[in-house]
Amino acid sequence: MSSETKASPSFSVANPPLSSSMTRYRVMVEKELLELVRSFKLLWVPLVFILLGIMQPVSTYYMPVILEHAGSLPDGTVIDIPLPQAAEVLAQTLQQFGTLGILVLVLVCMGSVSGERNSGAASLILVKPVSPLSYVGSKWTAMLMLAWGSLAAGYLASWYYTGLLIGAVPLSKVIGSLLIYGLWLTFVVSITILFSSLLRSPAAAAFSTLVGSVVLSLLAGLFPKALGWNPGALSGFASQAVVSEISDSGKFGLAILVVFIGMASAVLAAAGALRRSSAVE
Amino acid sequence: MKESIDLSQILPIIAPIIVIQLILMVIALVLCAKADHTRGPKWVWVLIIIFVNIFGPIAFFIAGRRTDG
Repeated sequence: MSSETKASPSFSVANPPLSSSMTRYRVMVEKELLELVRSFKLLWVPLVFILLGIMQPVSTYYMPVILEHAGSLPDGTVIDIPLPQAAEVLAQTLQQFGTLGILVLVLVCMGSVSGERNSGAASLILVKPVSPLSYVGSKWTAMLMLAWGSLAAGYLASWYYTGLLIGAVPLSKVIGSLLIYGLWLTFVVSITILFSSLLRSPAAAAFSTLVGSVVLSLLAGLFPKALGWNPGALSGFASQAVVSEISDSGKFGLAILVVFIGMASAVLAAAGALRRSSAVE
Repeated sequence: MKESIDLSQILPIIAPIIVIQLILMVIALVLCAKADHTRGPKWVWVLIIIFVNIFGPIAFFIAGRRTDG
């Protein structure tokens, strides 16, 4: 990206340490957002989520018609698929986000740190008075804004279409499950950034994150009693929140706590890895 | 008869889907045309972007461009 955005205007000003590091952090976040805009990520990632969100209610609604026209069924076959509840369609949308959405998000931020380390841009930035923590933190903040914005756009689009085609779902439930699901995405993005600064290859970072998130979800599904508190259970909690009520609020609270601890330690560990070696030897 | 009625009902509903796909396709094509180096021949990417629904443009955004340089 352009070099003038990297140079913080506050360098020459003798600010008190805290406020100047905050200023640098803000400038770095603005630089990351500018990069998201210039690479069109801020445009196409939300569009993909909106597309995923719209397709779910539409394809559910037209499934009988699609089967009738596409399938080579014998004449007179009665296709009788009961239309699911509106809230179930939203839960299915969350499942779509959980597979394709997470795939897209992880692939988008897999190279955020490792790409700049490989190209040497990271060491160029880190010789300036920018701490590794604010460098990693700014990337993390920008990616989270992208993830939350895309999720909200896609989920609300899905909610609107579900209301149009199938039935109304109260907005409060939708917002609730949106917040819970956003926490899961937050966790996944944090882990991606951690692996991106630990591993040299972006593909390896993406692969580790995807395997890790699948394993967490599987563990939460297989052993709900013993491991129902891990962050992978949050996607299930989000579906529960929109369909009915969250059944186990103790485990739910624990999962939220684990997410916050996990993302804080992921960012700190990533910054630590950068402090040790800002460039790949 | 029945199908034409269906189509006029379906069209306003699927119109946003088509519009979003078109936007994705156009962005990908513009970026592909502007890119100095693509991973693999450029004309293959153009075909992929145009003919593979949704995933063609996404694949180009993620894997198509070489960022070194």
